[in-house]
This record gives sequence, C-alpha cells and structure tokens, in this order.
Amino acid sequence: MIKERIRWQGVIVITSGKGGVGKTTTTANIGSALAKNGHSVVLIDTDIGLRNLDLLLGLENRIVYTLVDVVEERCKLKQALVKDKKNPNLCLLAAAQTRDKSSVTAEQLKKITEKLKKDYDFVIVDCPAGIEQGFQTAIAGASEAIVVTTPEMSAVRDADRIIGLLEAAEGIESYKLLINRVRPNMIKSNDMMSVEDVENILSCGKIGVIPEDTGIITSTNRGEPIINNEKSLAGKAYINVARRINGEEVPFLDIDEPKGFVERIKKFLSGLKQQGKE
Amino acid sequence: MQQFLDDNIYVMDLGNSNTTADVIFELSSLLEKDEVKNKKICLKLGDVNLNQAQLLSIKSLISGINSILSCIDTKSVETEKVALSLGIIVSNISAENTLEVTPADTYKMADEIKKETVENTTESNQPELSDSAYDSTQNDEYYNIVEESEEQTQETEQQQVIEQADIQSENIENNELTDKNSEINSTSEASETNEANEENSEAKTAVNEFENLEIDNNSSENQIQISENKTNEITKKAEVEDELEVIFGKNPAETSIFNSEKESVYEEETEELADIVVPEQAFTKEDIELEGFPTKYIKQTMRSGQVINYEGNLVIIGDCHPGCEITAFGDITVWGVLSGIAHAGSAGNQKAAVRALKMNAIQLRIANCYSRRPDSLNSVYIEKTNSFTPEEARIVNGEIVVFKMND
Repeated sequence: MIKERIRWQGVIVITSGKGGVGKTTTTANIGSALAKNGHSVVLIDTDIGLRNLDLLLGLENRIVYTLVDVVEERCKLKQALVKDKKNPNLCLLAAAQTRDKSSVTAEQLKKITEKLKKDYDFVIVDCPAGIEQGFQTAIAGASEAIVVTTPEMSAVRDADRIIGLLEAAEGIESYKLLINRVRPNMIKSNDMMSVEDVENILSCGKIGVIPEDTGIITSTNRGEPIINNEKSLAGKAYINVARRINGEEVPFLDIDEPKGFVERIKKFLSGLKQQGKE
Repeated sequence: MQQFLDDNIYVMDLGNSNTTADVIFELSSLLEKDEVKNKKICLKLGDVNLNQAQLLSIKSLISGINSILSCIDTKSVETEKVALSLGIIVSNISAENTLEVTPADTYKMADEIKKETVENTTESNQPELSDSAYDSTQNDEYYNIVEESEEQTQETEQQQVIEQADIQSENIENNELTDKNSEINSTSEASETNEANEENSEAKTAVNEFENLEIDNNSSENQIQISENKTNEITKKAEVEDELEVIFGKNPAETSIFNSEKESVYEEETEELADIVVPEQAFTKEDIELEGFPTKYIKQTMRSGQVINYEGNLVIIGDCHPGCEITAFGDITVWGVLSGIAHAGSAGNQKAAVRALKMNAIQLRIANCYSRRPDSLNSVYIEKTNSFTPEEARIVNGEIVVFKMND
C-alpha cells in the first residue's frame, strides 16, 4: 500500500496528456467530494475555448465573468468565482469560451492560484489536453499533480510523457496516478491492462482506481457530479480519492465484485451464453 | 432607383394579420422589398394589440431600411395609446374607406390622414393628443436630421432622382388628372417644382428639396400626383395592395398571454450583479437610440465560441448554439433557437429586447440586468418543430421577463 502524505497542500493540477480520459470528470467529482467533506474548494478550468467543467457541475447558466476577465482585470477575482448550486464550499473559476489558450500566461495563473490558496483549502486546476502552452500554463501554479490515465496503451504512453514533463517542471512536488475507466471483466479475460501493469509501466504510485460506469454519462448530461449518486461505484471511488487527498488512509475499492443480485444473474447468463457458443 | 423617386409615403396594409407574430412576419416580408426603402411608411394595423416594445421594434425594423414609420392606423385602443406615447401619429380611417381606395389614392390618403391628425391635435384640448403632436414634431426634427445624414451619403442617387422628377412633372402637365380636388393644385405645383428643380440641379440642394417635401404637405401631395403617372409601378403596387387588402375587424382583439418565467437570484449573486458597471456613455434618449441604430443581418449558425459585437440592432437568421455570445447596442432578434448568451442594449439601453423563435438562452442580459436559464430547463437539445412560439425578453420593473408571443 502506498503511504500518503499527511495531507495534500496547496494547488492540485489534474492532467493527462491524452484527451477524453476523464480529467474534467475527475476534477468535478474530486472537487465536489472534498467540498462535501467540509473543505473549501475552488476549481479552475484552464481549458480556455473548450470549457466543460461548468457543464459537469451544472453551473453553465451562472457564469458571468471568466478566468480571462480576471486576468485582463475586467473584474475582481471574487466576482468571477461561481458558487455551486448545492455546496457553498465549492467554487468554480470558469474558462472563457470565446478566447484561446494564449489569453492566459503561466505567470498570470500562478498569481491567481497563489491568491486563492490563501482563502481556500484546495485549489484544483483542470488542465487542457496536450502538452502545449495550455498545459504549461495549467501546471504553473501547482504543487501537486494527478495524472489521469485509462488502461489503454495510447493513454499510458501519453501519461508517461506527461510525467516526464511534470518531473522537469518547477514547483510540482509530487504526482499520483489515477486510473480511470477500468473494466474488471476485461482485465480478467486479459483484454485490458491491469491496474498493476499500468503502475509498473509508469513506475508511479496510484491515488485511485475508478471503474467504468455508464452513470458518468447521465451525470454529465444532467450536470450533477456522480459522487452524489450513492449507488454508483465510480462515485464511491471518487469519494475515496478525495479522502486520500485529505490525508486519510482508505483501502482501495474492490471493483471486481459484481454489485447486486441482478448483476450476478446477468453475469451468470452471459457465462451460459458464452458456453453455448463454444 | 425608379422606385426610390416614386413618392415619399408607402402604405403597408397589415390588416389581415391578427396576431403580433403575423404582423412581424408580414412586416419583415414587406420590408425586404426595395420599394419601401427610404420612405415614410404608413402602417395599417387591424385589431392587433401591440405593446410599447413591439411597436418600438417595428419602428426600429423600419428605420433599419432607412425608412420612417410616420403614422399608424389601428383599431386597437391599446396600440393607439402606445403609439401616442411613442410619438407616432395615429389616424382613424373607417373600414369602408380603406377597402374602396385605389392604390394611388391610398398614398394621398395617407398624407391627408397626416394632415387631419395634425389639425386634430392642434385644435383639440385633450392632453393626450396634444402630447402626441408635441412628440411628433420632435420626431420630425429627428427624422430630418437622420435623413440629412443619409442623403449626404446618397448624393449620386439624389441627382438621378431630380432628373427623373423633371420628366415626371412634365408628364403631369401633359396628362389630365382624374382627381378633381387636386387637379388645379397639382398642375400649378408641378410647374412650381419644375422650376424649382431646374434651379436646384445640384445634389446638395436636392437635400433641401426633400426636406421640404417631407415637411410641406402641398409639396408631398404633388409628389403623390407624380406617382399617378407612373402606371407601371402603380400596377405593380396595386397587385401588392390587392394581395394585402383584407377586411378589418373580423377577429376579436388579440390577447397576448404573458408567461413570465422568473427566477430568484441568490443574495450573493445580486451583490455581484450590482458590480456590473455600465459604460459611462450610457444613453439617455433610449427610444430614439433604438430606432436610430443601424441593423445588421447575419445569416449563419452561431456556434460555440463565436462572438458578435455590434453597435446597433442585430438580426441573426439561424440558430445560436450554446457557448456563443451576441452583444448589441440595440435589439437582438434571432430567427431560430437562441441557446447562447445574448446581451441586448449593451451600452445601457433599458428598452432593448431580445427576441427568438425559441428562447433557450443560457443567459440573457439587457442593459445592466442579467438573468439565467432556470436550472429545471436543463435539456440536452431542443427538438426542432414547426410550431415554435416566438418569445421576447425585455426589462419590466428592473427584471428581465420573457414573454411568449402567443396567438
């Protein structure tokens, strides 16, 4: 088992390199889970021009000022922070949709994160895909990083590249792996890399394993983080990640076991089907 | 060009439209024609009840094509009141008269109406009417200012107009006029204008001439007589008029149903809202501003991340997807689904409005007011049907209210 630091401090950047692995979903859920546990959290979307974090939190209609407005001093930092509908501990600093990544420089974001760090327990930065300027900007103010990857070769390769860049970057004190969209069934049938394989390839400790969950799609469409759905295994996994960030020692979820009676029957039936085919 | 010199007043018959949506639809189709540009327009409305914002927007639509809404014929008392409050001349023509008039006569009639109303307003002691007269004079001044600037830009056009006007006035002398009352006057005046035109051959003097035509009833009457001789165009217009000519007062008065969708705002947010600063050059004469603004037409689908910022009225023919931002000094009209952010009256104009066939905007901003889409309306996409109800958002008592323009 990996020993966590007593508690993660300061600014956490959530990055991946490859797109579509779940950076934004992770940001929304970890942020919500931390806020639910009573911490004050601010989420910063740095994906300027392709913002999505507001959608996942269901705050799209509340955004008046954005990160770019703060940087260009059209408003105060406090004005641009959008409070969450349910949890007043959670704030969002949205990205501008009508601009591009060059609107904010690394130094400007660093200033903002330093300001926010004083007032909030956690500052979580959602990083854009890629390793260009947007990535460099996003990691500028961060002291910790979570590298999100899926058990696919392409995502793991990109994660490796990102870890290399994180190690080279100034200011990043520690980084952890978060393995997303894991399918235990496929791992069992050797169709997918196991969590351990990914860890070994990247030689990096993990902070969480999130199982594949169709509920993520519905929660994204509804604008509600999946941690609010108590039945969801992915939601539980995200809550555990948040607790680990807070310094608690939480055992990893056993995601192998089918959840309920119906699933067991399904599994049994699918097994019969396969036998019949053979 | 020929249509331009035709005459100054154009009567639009919207009597067959029984709803506000119909009126705006008819109007927009009529306004696309070249012949209504640079004209004084006389609107014939049936029983439709128009509110202030709707009438204002019609006015601004008309001013968008360099024309002026000079007078209105309505059967609705509400519309009449609103028109009076906006300084638009209201005339009362009986239904029988309007049905029997020939196109050429309607032009003249429009002018007579104007005369009558001016006379009425000056003679009567009613405060409302006298107010309207006051307003109308104010407006006339304003229009003249506008026209001056327009006509300076159209110097070449003016020259051609004058040349053609000469020919026309000669025709008048040759031909016999059917109208008994105006026969003598028009021929004498035609010769007068003939002389005037010979004297004022330059474009700059044409500007003055046109102003005179507007203000002076006699001269504009003369202009109408000129149009009588242009048989080709009259037949064209007669066709249009015939198409539009419908009996007034068949349907009961329209009642617009106001489905206001309000939402309370958090205390914190109201604090934030108070900090939204309207630029210092906020305009005060808001009505005049709205109708004076130029209008820009955009025929495209506005997609996420696209921004339009225009110092005037905006008409977007197409959908506005979530994530786009439309900002205009004046009104915003979206001929499609509005799902992005719209900010009308961005220079501080409280009278500005946002209109859309389907209002699904994430945020609406008018002047310094702000409203957001209710969280309950979190639909993934809007199904496109043939039965949209146009909606309009405007400020009522400091809040943005969305009205459905129902039948």
